Amino acid sequence: MKKSGSFLPLLIWRSLIHRPGRTAARLAALTVSATVATALLTVYASLDSKLNHEFRTFGANVVITAAGQDSRSSEGTPTELPDNALEAARHAAGSQSLVVPFAYGIAQMQSGAPIVVAGTDVKAAEQMNRWWQIHEVAAAPTDPDAATQSGAVGLVPALAGVQAKKALGSNRFKLFYGGQPLAFETSRTLQTGGAEDSRVYLPLDAFARWTGTRMTALEIQIPGSAQEVQAAIARLRKALPEAEVQPIHQLIAAQAGVASRTRSLLLSSVLLISLTISVCVLASLGASVLERRRDYAVMKAMGATERRVELLFLAEVVLLAMAGLGCGYALGSGIADLIGEINFHTSIAPLWQVAVAAAILNLTIGLIAALIPLKALRMLKPASLLQGH
Amino acid sequence: MFLRLIYESFLRQKRRKLLAGAAILLGATAVTAMLTIGVSVGNKMSREMKAYGANIVVAPAADALDVEVGGVPLRPAHSGEYLKQSDLAKIKQIFWHNNIENISPELPLTAQIEIGQTIRQVPVVGYWFHHALDVGGESYTVGAIGLHPWWRLDGTWPRDGSRSEIAIGETLARRLQLQKGDRIEVEQTPVTISGIVSGGNAANRTLLVPLALAQQWLHRPGAVRRVYVSALTKPEDALGRSNPATLSPKMRERWYCSAYPNSIAYQIQQALPHSRAEQIRRIAQGEGKILSHISGLMWLVALAALVASGLAVAASMATAIAERHQEIGLMRALGASHGAIAGLFFTEVTLLAAAATIPGYFLGSFVADQVSQRIFGSGSGVIPALLPLTLLLIIGVSLIGGTPSILRAARTEPASVLRASV
Repeated sequence: MKKSGSFLPLLIWRSLIHRPGRTAARLAALTVSATVATALLTVYASLDSKLNHEFRTFGANVVITAAGQDSRSSEGTPTELPDNALEAARHAAGSQSLVVPFAYGIAQMQSGAPIVVAGTDVKAAEQMNRWWQIHEVAAAPTDPDAATQSGAVGLVPALAGVQAKKALGSNRFKLFYGGQPLAFETSRTLQTGGAEDSRVYLPLDAFARWTGTRMTALEIQIPGSAQEVQAAIARLRKALPEAEVQPIHQLIAAQAGVASRTRSLLLSSVLLISLTISVCVLASLGASVLERRRDYAVMKAMGATERRVELLFLAEVVLLAMAGLGCGYALGSGIADLIGEINFHTSIAPLWQVAVAAAILNLTIGLIAALIPLKALRMLKPASLLQGH
Repeated sequence: MFLRLIYESFLRQKRRKLLAGAAILLGATAVTAMLTIGVSVGNKMSREMKAYGANIVVAPAADALDVEVGGVPLRPAHSGEYLKQSDLAKIKQIFWHNNIENISPELPLTAQIEIGQTIRQVPVVGYWFHHALDVGGESYTVGAIGLHPWWRLDGTWPRDGSRSEIAIGETLARRLQLQKGDRIEVEQTPVTISGIVSGGNAANRTLLVPLALAQQWLHRPGAVRRVYVSALTKPEDALGRSNPATLSPKMRERWYCSAYPNSIAYQIQQALPHSRAEQIRRIAQGEGKILSHISGLMWLVALAALVASGLAVAASMATAIAERHQEIGLMRALGASHGAIAGLFFTEVTLLAAAATIPGYFLGSFVADQVSQRIFGSGSGVIPALLPLTLLLIIGVSLIGGTPSILRAARTEPASVLRASV
């Protein structure tokens, strides 16, 4: 028994190298199934994080304003948020979130027409709102009037919406807030197709010095799934009970819908492809086991028990399945990473959980591919098999 | 003789042919299903992204600046220019009319509301809620409800022609202590609150009234301030971002005939006199980016399916041919030339691949349709153009897979094969 047990590995090794072409074909089939399963499952597992990253394109998904925002001042200026709101919001929203303070007011142009002015951290606002289209504008000849009339406040750099710029005319202009003038210079215009086109953006501290208003809204971009965003909103409401924390429903609802449909679509594709490839590989492996019916018959004729012959066949398949898994996992992880680079411009890291799933799939395919033909061979007599029946 | 050999081969080797055919059929199913999903995912996802709202806005060309903060208009009610309501049907007559999914005009104003003895100024927006727009004898349902799927309503929407029903945003209702069913006077018109709207950030703080009623209060019959359009668009590329005025006539035509947000906006602007149409970049750009990545992902997965199916089909063909080495030896012993044997096998492979691909194509179309129906609520149907493509691909990979075995078989020495089988 001991002797035959030590003989088995040699027998398996001989069997595998005896017909290298056939072994290579079986190994290739099992490598294909492991590659496909690894690549698609890795992409599927990382889909949520990739999509959530993509949804950042839409900008802020939560807005915080002072409670009772509808009671505006006579000039339409929204109520201020408390001083600690920015820090509290940053802490509650989490380190991955982007929090940008805004202060809005209604100023007058020299013609007396109203215009919305917004104080903000312009760089952070641009970073959050990647859909903002910024155009550099050609430098205009110096308008000494605007500069000299600006008085002590100075010439403030501004980002003007395209409609606002059209209404203001020059790159240098003056606006009035509560009768207080402020001179601006703009070297860039902003185009969004929204209300931003009609506004003039300036640094928050300059806005506060000019209007006396420090901060009226916080726009927050919270990354993550709809559930993670809802959890962050709950934390924000707890941290800022005196403020109104409003999710931008259209973004959160649409994100959940699009992410869930994409996930379902990819999962359906993964299952469909894996199933198809598995059946193809199964058919191919099954045929190759049937092809070895003479080996089976010779071993039986020489006195090997059915269990031992089957063990030999199964051990071979397990070895090939694991070797196929090794190659397929490496290849599949590479393909998943390539898909990530091509499509999302970020890499997709290999996942050990996927290796476990691919191993189960490969072993299942291999064992089914061996067991079904073996069951068929078991019903035949060695003599009739050797006679070619 | 050649045809008879092929006929006999199919007749006498049913098991082998069925096994190889099954592998090809499954490969063709996966390829067809993935190609169908890849082709239809763009439109399906684009429709799904309509949940983000309008992606094009139309305003009067000579309009004054928007004065609004947090979506609440602060401009004096009677200032600015207007568009004509009667022109809106023209939006559904542009070159890309089939891509126009929804049209929602708005007319904002500030109205006096009388509750008991108190008079207040409140923001009001006039909408088409669920409007039947007649265009060239056909009727399309358009309006704000379809454009704002995130709005939630407690009650019923005001009827579009009604002069006595309004809806109110929940924040405003809470502030004014109003409830569904309350009767109030707005601009000296008695109205009933038919529903309370929540979920819309700006809509929460306004009265939502039928467009005709807003026009009546503003004394501007047939006027609208802005029109929001939801259009199916393709993601912007370098051409999409171009200024049409700077393009050559040929490129300009290509730009015009592509469903870019800018080209659709341009056509709307041409159709509506004295208007300015532009993409809402927050929605259009976000949609475009996500859409291109999801479509790209599905195409890459389809490509992976194609390669994997190709390898599986090729492996099946190689196995099927390798199994027949004795038969090949016998044919060679009987005087068949290398070319005749190779020709016979190539013909067999082609016929088998074609015969298995056709049912695989229909099965794949059915699978894709079911997946699409389940995920998007609408099927993908059968795409006839994919049949020749799938046929070509599957026959191609079958031949590629079978070729090494066929060539090896054709070179076989008959004596060695026949001796080995004894």
